[in-house]
Amino acid sequence: MPSISTLRRTGGLADRRTAEAVLVAWAVLSARPPVRLSGQSLDQLAVRFASMTAVTGLEQAMTDSLLGLLPGSTRDRAGNVTLTIGQGAPKRLVQCPLDELGYVVGNITGDGYVLLRRVGAPTTYPLFDQQLEGHRVTVFGMKGAVPGVVAVKSTHLTRGRVGSGAPDLVFTVDNAYVDVGAATAADARALGVDVLAPVSLAKRPLPYGDRLLAAPGAGRRAACAALVAAVQTKPKVKGTVVVALTVQSLYTGNAGLASVKALLGPFDDTKTASLTTRYTDTAVETVALGDADALVKQLVTWMEGR
Amino acid sequence: MRAVGWTGGRAVGVVAAVLLSAGPAVRLSAQDSARISEAQAILAPLVESYGVSGAEGPVRELVKRLLPAWAKSETDTAGNLWVRLGQGNPLIVFVAHMDEIGFRVTAVRDDGSLELEPRGGFIASLFEAQPALVHTDKGDVAGVFMPRDSGFARHTAPPLRVDVGTTTRAGTIARGVSPGQTVSMPKQFVRLAGTRATGRSFDDRVGDAAQILALRHLDRAALKHQVIFIWSVREEIGLEGAGVAAAALGTAPRRVHAIDTFVSADSPLEPPNFAVAPIGAGAVARALDNSSVTPPAYVDSLVHLARARSVALQVGTTNGGNDGSMFTPYGVVDVALGWPLRYSHSPVEVVDLKDVASLADLIRAIAESW
Repeated sequence: MPSISTLRRTGGLADRRTAEAVLVAWAVLSARPPVRLSGQSLDQLAVRFASMTAVTGLEQAMTDSLLGLLPGSTRDRAGNVTLTIGQGAPKRLVQCPLDELGYVVGNITGDGYVLLRRVGAPTTYPLFDQQLEGHRVTVFGMKGAVPGVVAVKSTHLTRGRVGSGAPDLVFTVDNAYVDVGAATAADARALGVDVLAPVSLAKRPLPYGDRLLAAPGAGRRAACAALVAAVQTKPKVKGTVVVALTVQSLYTGNAGLASVKALLGPFDDTKTASLTTRYTDTAVETVALGDADALVKQLVTWMEGR
Repeated sequence: MRAVGWTGGRAVGVVAAVLLSAGPAVRLSAQDSARISEAQAILAPLVESYGVSGAEGPVRELVKRLLPAWAKSETDTAGNLWVRLGQGNPLIVFVAHMDEIGFRVTAVRDDGSLELEPRGGFIASLFEAQPALVHTDKGDVAGVFMPRDSGFARHTAPPLRVDVGTTTRAGTIARGVSPGQTVSMPKQFVRLAGTRATGRSFDDRVGDAAQILALRHLDRAALKHQVIFIWSVREEIGLEGAGVAAAALGTAPRRVHAIDTFVSADSPLEPPNFAVAPIGAGAVARALDNSSVTPPAYVDSLVHLARARSVALQVGTTNGGNDGSMFTPYGVVDVALGWPLRYSHSPVEVVDLKDVASLADLIRAIAESW
């Protein structure tokens, strides 16, 4: 099990508390591992990946971690992590998109509140931005992860001020004032927070039920964990298999995957690692880790050409 | 020094605002002063304990553990925790509540999901599509507050349900979940920049912490009268615990000091018509709210006391009720005190630990000198 300091270095985890929470979840999940790997179980990888932040186009912290997990892998000019296994024909590609819908800092007000711009394609959950309201976020600034909260009206102060029939407007990112505890813009900048810093909901993956995992983007991250787990079983591949964990899938026409194809293709076949999710695109997107077990087997079978 | 408009026919509002820190605006926790560190050491575990109204047991046990060794506590039939000290008249009472907002399970559906009713007033959408914890006798059971599947044009959430990862009623019950249990959301005490912090249920764990801190520093030899500290139950659902305590004491107390949140308009989302008490500028005399009015002479006296003891104090008016109002029908004067809080009853309430320390200092000063 990696140390907390290792987790902090390698994966964009928000803070020590988050890392501790992940390790606790890790311990719980590892009590019944379905697939034992040399280093980490699939469940451990899924929790670890779900703890990371990789706002589309700004995935470097996560790809740094992946490079460490996949010996021999490299990062291409677009930011994708790729690993080539085997040689000869056929030449095939298996990929998982690792990026997520998120935000970047768009501006900082004079009294130290951080304003946001959304990054990524339209979401399947119409209230995606409303999930920010009254919740903790992490700003990945130049000096590290900075915790903040998105302002919300105080319940007590709304009483008697909202007439019946008043509009019941949903919360949008334009309503989001992130409070990092700063009193001035200079205070915020002193924390390393500035325009273009990635921002996400604070992540604390939640295991529940019978090996269910809830977290923002849990499905994608569990699928990527399954792909890494499949590679770590050292499959005897048929021909050449390029394994790609791709960036920018949710922006600019899936530029990450397009780059892999342009730089390493053409491919005789392409497979995408994906999993069915419940509560998709919410903060509690849920994936069954039993499905991830099955995905590992499918991927190994596919890579071996069976 | 800050002047705050005060409803009641005149403007008092001279504030003994002693700004407690001239240090750097952004300060790491490693640079905390001893008083800030102590405030955090008491407050953080209180914030991270769970006690939805009617299920305050874990908080009560934690309060007992955090009390100074000399303090002898007792629990009344309602669940309130009492600590009595000093002798003679007048009798002064401090009361802070232990409970927090949340939900109670009302039914388990055939599909295994839980139907809920709210305990206290809050914006339900803040819980929608978030992690959930069902507090059972055998420990917490994790789940998720289910997101709506229609009505996406509205901010307001439909009645919330919880999915604990089962598909049948029997499966849910097998996990130890049943109607009557309370439900909340996982929470953490997290430091923000400087001396600020965020978490859920600062209302009223800050009050609980301030009373504990005051007791730890109190000069018992200086007490000239009897003082009772109460940690009350079921405030959020109608001041029920305080009602029991008030009835038990009757007309005996001279004053009651409810120690509870001053909901502050110190936020970009709130109009500054009232509730103007910046966080970080000290404790607040909650001179007028929806449940009580402190007689002006008492406010003036409090301001003088704070000034004499060099305690940062603001004076203001805000919304909400307080436990002290249950004592006023017995002729007991309610001099409610608080600290400024941003984003009340949300998962991300924000406080400044300097205010926690000044509130504790004020409670101590009142007990010893007023």
